[in-house]
Amino acid sequence: MSAVEKYLKPKVIRQIARLDLRAQFIVKGFMQGLHASPFHGFSVEFSEHRKYALGDNPDDIDWLVYAKTDKYYVKKFEAETNITGYLAMDLSASMAYSYEQELSKFEYCICLAAALCYLMIHQQDPVGLVTFGEKIEDSLAPKSKRQQIGNILSLLARLKPRKKTDIARSLNQLSAMLKHSSLIMLFSDLLADPEEVIAALRRLRHGGHDVILFHILDQAEIDFPFEGLVELRDPETNESVEVDADGYRADYRQAIGEFRTFYERECNQSRIDYVPLDTSMQFDRALTEYLVNRRNWG
Amino acid sequence: MGFLTPLLLAGAAFVAVPIILHLIMRRQPQQLVFPALRFVLQRQEANRRRLQLRHWFLLALRCGLIAGLAMTLARPILKGSGLRGKEGAPLAVALVVDNSLRMQYVHQNHTRLDDALRMAKHLVKKLPENSEIAVLDRRRSGDGFTADLETARSRLEHLEYSSNPRPLDDTVIEAIKLVAQHPDHRQEVLLFSDLSLASFSEPALEGLQEALAESPDVRVYVVDVGVEQTTNASIGPLKIRRSMLRPGEPLHIEAPVKLSGTLEPPLVELHLIGDANQTVKRGQQVAPIDEAGLGQATFELANLPLGVHQGYVCLAANDPLEPDNTRYFTVEVRPPANVLLLGERSDDTLFLREALQPSLNTDQGAARFNCEVGRFSNAADIELSDFDAICLLDPPPLSDSLWQALVDYADQGAGVGIFLGNRAKPDAFNTQTAQNLLPGLLKWKSRDTTYFRPRLLAHPALAGLRDYAEEIPWSVFPVWQYWEFGELAGDAHVVARFANHQPALIERSSGMGRVLTFATALSDPLEPVGREPWNVLPTGHEPWPFVALANQLVGYLAQSEEERFDYRAGETVSIRLAPRQRVSNFVLYHPDGRSMRRTLPPGDEAILISTTDELGNYRVASGGHSRRLQRGFSVNASSEISELLRIDPKELADALSTDQVQIARTLGDVQRYVDIGRSGRELFPWAISLVALIWSAEHLLANRFYRGAP
Repeated sequence: MSAVEKYLKPKVIRQIARLDLRAQFIVKGFMQGLHASPFHGFSVEFSEHRKYALGDNPDDIDWLVYAKTDKYYVKKFEAETNITGYLAMDLSASMAYSYEQELSKFEYCICLAAALCYLMIHQQDPVGLVTFGEKIEDSLAPKSKRQQIGNILSLLARLKPRKKTDIARSLNQLSAMLKHSSLIMLFSDLLADPEEVIAALRRLRHGGHDVILFHILDQAEIDFPFEGLVELRDPETNESVEVDADGYRADYRQAIGEFRTFYERECNQSRIDYVPLDTSMQFDRALTEYLVNRRNWG
Repeated sequence: MGFLTPLLLAGAAFVAVPIILHLIMRRQPQQLVFPALRFVLQRQEANRRRLQLRHWFLLALRCGLIAGLAMTLARPILKGSGLRGKEGAPLAVALVVDNSLRMQYVHQNHTRLDDALRMAKHLVKKLPENSEIAVLDRRRSGDGFTADLETARSRLEHLEYSSNPRPLDDTVIEAIKLVAQHPDHRQEVLLFSDLSLASFSEPALEGLQEALAESPDVRVYVVDVGVEQTTNASIGPLKIRRSMLRPGEPLHIEAPVKLSGTLEPPLVELHLIGDANQTVKRGQQVAPIDEAGLGQATFELANLPLGVHQGYVCLAANDPLEPDNTRYFTVEVRPPANVLLLGERSDDTLFLREALQPSLNTDQGAARFNCEVGRFSNAADIELSDFDAICLLDPPPLSDSLWQALVDYADQGAGVGIFLGNRAKPDAFNTQTAQNLLPGLLKWKSRDTTYFRPRLLAHPALAGLRDYAEEIPWSVFPVWQYWEFGELAGDAHVVARFANHQPALIERSSGMGRVLTFATALSDPLEPVGREPWNVLPTGHEPWPFVALANQLVGYLAQSEEERFDYRAGETVSIRLAPRQRVSNFVLYHPDGRSMRRTLPPGDEAILISTTDELGNYRVASGGHSRRLQRGFSVNASSEISELLRIDPKELADALSTDQVQIARTLGDVQRYVDIGRSGRELFPWAISLVALIWSAEHLLANRFYRGAP
């Protein structure tokens, strides 16, 4: 099975296909009448007319066409991107972690990235890929061609998340690389010094980039479901510590909650979209919810 | 705090095991990769301390579990017997069971003895096999420690009531001394008693206190099996006016009745046992009771035929204490004794004959004596053997043949009374033959004025006067003349003296007979012709002392004095045989119908019977028609058995005022006291609960620690 096919398993495809349908519905159907695109800053151009159907917004009726044909038509719009998307993937070893979940954090990110990539390509928006560990490792230039999704997936499939990570440095590097305002979709577990990461994100934002931060954690990293005496080892630093999981669970949950709250607060201040996800969530649903929310903000 | 099996405490050394395991074989935790370790590390120090604390806590729990288990198995006790060094020592236990008849008191369908034995058996069951155990009761001295527990159990099983109990304090003191013989043992005395006041009198308590002080290691547990509120009706010792009756003389019985508690005046019945051992009710009466609960029933039976008569007086109704409801009695109707009065003249015998057989009273046929009068001159013609006694009143010098006849007569078991007077001559009376009867040589007639003054009335010849010894005004009967004797014969002894300490009444035995010599005359008229009277004993102002004295003396001589038929249980019964009665063997019939053949050693004048533990009427019979012996006696319980008043347990404890004594009421109390005293309060249930608690905590913590571990 090729690397690409691995991410095009029937289940994933089904999910992506469903995502596609939903995305299409969001973009072309339900959201059409709102004159709003889920991606802020998109220019919307007229695409075609179609017959008015019950439930369409009467404001969208093209009265000129009515005057000509004596029939109700509504204007249909299609988004046309003028923004370049970058999928920034964290390759740190911690991203390979999975505890009792079907997908590791990295695999979850790939699925998510594929879906977004699909959506953007479908809208003819160019999408590029950047992967980073302690620094930027690989990159694919943004393109809006359909084969770009295959390229991106095949590249991601080749990569193994086993590096040490320096998110802040990598983001700074990315910031320096980008010349135009872009949409940067960052997929990471953010297990680094949050202050530095936030500083780097602010720098990106300052550079005029739109940033969506997908904060992916394994469910075990959120719930701390271990019991009894356990020895925990950090895959990146190989540091280990022995804890009484039951006694420590509450403390841990509090710490991770504070960690996520910190990011959420900081991102809000910097107008960065912060999307906290864990690998137990259906990523299509998670993505849909995010997109709906983003449209509502818009 | 002590331990019953302290050796098992050594098991506490196993606490080393979890410590070693903790140090060298520590269980490895589950190893997991976890990227978000930084958040764990944030609180690592607090976590490490907590973890360490929990580890130590778990270790402490495990050590505590093992130590607790060892301690529990060593059977901790809160308070030992206080006998240092004796915690593990074997027991020396004496069980003292009060088995007096009073313990027959029935409460809730159990007698006191039943309750006592039930508790005693229960306690014996709990004793370790190596215990020294003794079972003592009030019947007799204990036999020391039994061979084993089974023997003790058997002795308890067969313990019976004692109608003749020895004092309870004697039994307890014996028990204390018995267990004190084992200084290396823990020494305990368990006393089962109804706490009757009669058993714990002040002297008894003092004796107990002394015994306890001498044996400070002995612990006494008094188990109170008595009843707080008692009801009882009892008949006291019967008062029988005369138990030796003459034909026609009525039997007069007074039965004192005593009630305690709230009981109606009781119906008292008199039963007489007939010839064929059948019982006939001869009277019944409701005894009137006064406020103090005392009353009396009086019965009178007339015309009892000759022979032994036995019967009993009982209460018709039942009450909780049965044995004091019946009193047994034996009376005997005998023919009057034949007495020959010899005098020189008819006047000489007048006073004595009237005293012994009043002429006014002969018609009634109840006279004790059947007197015949004779003269010394024709004494040789009289068949002496027809008489039980012969009285020589102021005898003149007699022929040797008559003296010899009298000696022979006396040797056969008859009585001869010699009342010396004016006619006696030392020469004639100091002959060898006469001296066989007389107590000594006649010295002279003393003219010292004195009077007859019997002091000790212990001699059977005067014992009958004992009841009114104080009332008899001997001093108003002066004695002006009396015979003084020289040295008395070896077998003679003075029964009574004059006020000037000269012998007045001297007894000498002759063969099986009795010879009494009175040193002054009993036949002198108030004004004899030609001389002064020797005394005014028969003619004084008060005639009755003379009558009483004469009856006593002649009764003694005729061996027809009042006999005792009523005995207390355990007393040795003496049945005096008639002088000429030859008995070589006899049969003793017990109240329950058992008969026992006995042999009487030749020469014995009385039958002695010591097996009188059973209450009731006994009969003694000897075979043969001509010399048939039919006698009887009654054995009654001591009136102490009706004493149901109890000593207050607190008073008892105070009186003994020592921590060596504990008083228990229920089996639980006994068990608790004994357990505390013997081995302290066992903490086993608490200890095992604590161990279970520690074990649960350890299990919980360990499970929490190592849950999910591979």
